[in-house]
Amino acid sequence: MPDTISIDLTVNGVACTGSAEARRSLVDFLRIDLGLTGTHVGCEHGVCGACTVLLNGRTVRSCLLFAVQVRGAEIVTIEGLSKSGPLHPLQQAFQEHHALQCGFCTPGMILAALELLKENPAPSEEEIRVGLAGNLCMCTGYVNIVRAVKAAAEAMAPGRGGIPE
Amino acid sequence: MSDAEEKWVGQAVKRTEDPALLVGRGGFIDDFALPGMAHAAYLRSPHAHARIVSMDIRRALEHPGVFAVLTGKEVARLTRPQRGRVPLAKSPTVYALAPEKARYIGEPVAAVAAVDRATAEDALDLIEVHYEPLPVVVDPEEAMKPGAPLVFEEIGSNILWHDTFPYGDVEGAFQRADLVVKERFTIHRYASTPLETFGGIAQHEAATGKFTIWGHTQQPGQDLHVIAGSLGISPGQIRLIVPPLGGAFGNKVRPLYLIILALLARKAGRAVKWIEDRRENLLGLGHAANGIMDVEAAVKKDGTILGLKFRNIESEGAGIDFAGRHNLLMLSNIVNCYRVPAVSYEGYSVVTNCCPVVANRGIGKPFMCFSVERIVDAVARAVELDRVQVRLKNFIQPDEFPYDTPSGQTYDSGDYPEMLRKGLALIDYPALKREQVKARAAGRLLGIGIAVGVEPGGSNLSYGMLISGPKQLLSGQGEAVRIRMETDGTATVYTGSLDSGQGHGTALAQIVADELGLKMDQVRVPITFDSASHPYVLTSGVYSNKFNGHDTAAAIGAARKVREKLLQRAANHLEANVEDLELREGRVAVRGAPTKAVTVAELASRAYWSLAGPQPADGEPGLEAVYYYRNPMARPPDAERRVRVQLGFASAAHVAVVEIDPETFEIKVLRYGVVHDCGRQINPLIVEGQVHGAAAHGIAAALLEEFVYDENGQLLTTSFMDYLKPTAAEVPMIEGDHLESPSPFTPLGTKGIGEGGAVIAPAAIAGAVEDALEPLGIRITTLPITPTRLWEVVSKRGTRYGPSAP
Repeated sequence: MPDTISIDLTVNGVACTGSAEARRSLVDFLRIDLGLTGTHVGCEHGVCGACTVLLNGRTVRSCLLFAVQVRGAEIVTIEGLSKSGPLHPLQQAFQEHHALQCGFCTPGMILAALELLKENPAPSEEEIRVGLAGNLCMCTGYVNIVRAVKAAAEAMAPGRGGIPE
Repeated sequence: MSDAEEKWVGQAVKRTEDPALLVGRGGFIDDFALPGMAHAAYLRSPHAHARIVSMDIRRALEHPGVFAVLTGKEVARLTRPQRGRVPLAKSPTVYALAPEKARYIGEPVAAVAAVDRATAEDALDLIEVHYEPLPVVVDPEEAMKPGAPLVFEEIGSNILWHDTFPYGDVEGAFQRADLVVKERFTIHRYASTPLETFGGIAQHEAATGKFTIWGHTQQPGQDLHVIAGSLGISPGQIRLIVPPLGGAFGNKVRPLYLIILALLARKAGRAVKWIEDRRENLLGLGHAANGIMDVEAAVKKDGTILGLKFRNIESEGAGIDFAGRHNLLMLSNIVNCYRVPAVSYEGYSVVTNCCPVVANRGIGKPFMCFSVERIVDAVARAVELDRVQVRLKNFIQPDEFPYDTPSGQTYDSGDYPEMLRKGLALIDYPALKREQVKARAAGRLLGIGIAVGVEPGGSNLSYGMLISGPKQLLSGQGEAVRIRMETDGTATVYTGSLDSGQGHGTALAQIVADELGLKMDQVRVPITFDSASHPYVLTSGVYSNKFNGHDTAAAIGAARKVREKLLQRAANHLEANVEDLELREGRVAVRGAPTKAVTVAELASRAYWSLAGPQPADGEPGLEAVYYYRNPMARPPDAERRVRVQLGFASAAHVAVVEIDPETFEIKVLRYGVVHDCGRQINPLIVEGQVHGAAAHGIAAALLEEFVYDENGQLLTTSFMDYLKPTAAEVPMIEGDHLESPSPFTPLGTKGIGEGGAVIAPAAIAGAVEDALEPLGIRITTLPITPTRLWEVVSKRGTRYGPSAP
């Protein structure tokens, strides 16, 4: 059997140790080796955005990275967003505005929206659309996703609680 | 509070599916694993048409980590051949893996089960196949010609099916016409491509011969029987479990993959999992059929349409599973919203060396709506009338419902004139027309598209008898639901239907809560189908927009049976008559004596614990009921071959505003409006979401998405870099309004709403592009509409974006 390489990294604030073949993608490592199945695989060629996670605070496509490339990094997946606590304002807004149907794109979409709102806390409709253009949703036609992100931005605005860590 | 005020149905309640999905706990097929599970990979043909001269699997079998290899020849020995869902008179022999000949690029020819997916794919490289390439046919008209390469030699022709359906006095209509307007329209191959690809896990129990299959389907009853039939075992030997679907749109109906997983699991002696990758999905899961439609309209000078003739050639690809379905379903919207007394339809189902077709959101109906709406625009031009006026002139009027169309559809209800007026008001049509005049004067290409459509919902599967004859077993339409009231007075609802993102669990909970006087959170709907617990009929599933007329009726039927048992128990308990009882808010009370009451929880508890106490009149303890609903309107074709192909008719008006860059021909959708009428709404939040999503599919089908085959049958669009899906930056904000014309034929007055956007939007977009190009005089008769091809037409000073008329 092929050789494996040991991988230490922090996922959702928890230090993890694992090992994987060099060809193991980050998304497969998260899903199969760490059991974090909230990150989904949609295209495996970096277009659909379903596998979006945060790598040291920035969104990446976990299907385009090998697990061995992220040794020592901090990863946040959808499982790290609300942990066992209340839903994040983005998650709440997605439900409130019916911004998900099958829910397969939702974890990646929410992490992409989280990065967008960190960079631009009060985006216009156009800015939201461009900001999320790296994530495909096959169900909603994006209308309610745009509405939800706008609502979340308002809920997360300074004086309204701010961006939860 | 009166009963009427406390109904859950009609409220925009938040979906019960969302909390799990929002935190990444959707429970999709790929989230499951079993101990010792192997992973499968498929070897797929690199040729569009080739004889498999030999296949050597020895090196693959010897590869470390490989548990089993399966070849087409072996599958032909181990299984019975596949049959079409509509059985054909002359059916070719098709197996889940190709034994003798590959008929499209990507057709599976062998499969491997190994310790992990990567190892399985490594082993595929070790299988040596000697192919003898054969001549290829991609174009369906070419495939019909004598001497064309035969996809299935055994039937002696590429025409799987051909038939003509004249309804009414068609020749008379054309004789009385002042003029005849003719066009040829074509539609391309596309698919709604659910974000979750197809997948399954199969497990075999050697001691009993039983299989457990977790996997994708949209028709669990039919696919369970397809698998059992193929393996030659009883349906009771298979437990089929269908986890929540990450989108489906009609595409997730390829039981062949589950058959192969079952065979691999048996051979490997361990569970085997396979998740399709995106390339496999675009290459081989299934496409909407491409087609060529010739239309003739018999017209009076005042714009009245007297009759329509259609001749359609449908490319079924190299498959038989859905053969004929695109064609027959077009009979459901053949007159669209119009009072056309005479129509004829001639259909050809032709096989080609392309991916087999499957259902895709609206199956067949988008092309029919496109053809009718495009010909209506052409008629308006020919008689020099406004296209709105021509539509208003020909509409079926609100007082004519229920309205029987020539092909036998019974349109339930609607108000098409008001729907169109509302659509035009939504975008302020007069103001837009003024803006357009100014824009044209400034050299801008601004266009407005208008399309209306019926949205048929709920297939009457008896329509297959138009092909297979009256002996066809599969017929009608219905659904099955079992409701168990638990000992704490909550209810659990098991349905033979599925959910692929619509929120059917939420909607069913609303309905059952109303029927049983419960709160919504007291009703749970385990949406993971399990043939061991969920009742089903062979029409069960999530397809054809059937939820609103059928799944709802089954749930209501089961709930009323439970309610009846509950009230009988309460009558015993309270020593009162059933007629004097009222059930609400989790209690049964004697009307007028509110202190004489018992909680539902107590009654439910006694139903299971206290078997020695007084029982309801039927003497049966427990508080559970199964209801099998069949739609009484779903009858076989009549002597004139009229048949209600579909059973409910929502409707919508779409208005599109586009601007085309005069230099690059980039098409931008500036505004998009939808006025829909699905009768009563169970959950307006969900309805709106369906309207948005379906419209986005239709817009993208018209402007972006296209499976492109070259002349060798090579598919050129096998990634999302070539097969363009719309992002948030391409889909406009969809503006909406609605009418509410309740259906007299469904228990709640509801109608299907999941497909209409995808059916109507391509016609609206084409109309808008044609209107924008009016200064250049270009007619849009084909899809998709791309900047490159528009530029080619304009640069050659052409007048037609599409095929030349025959």
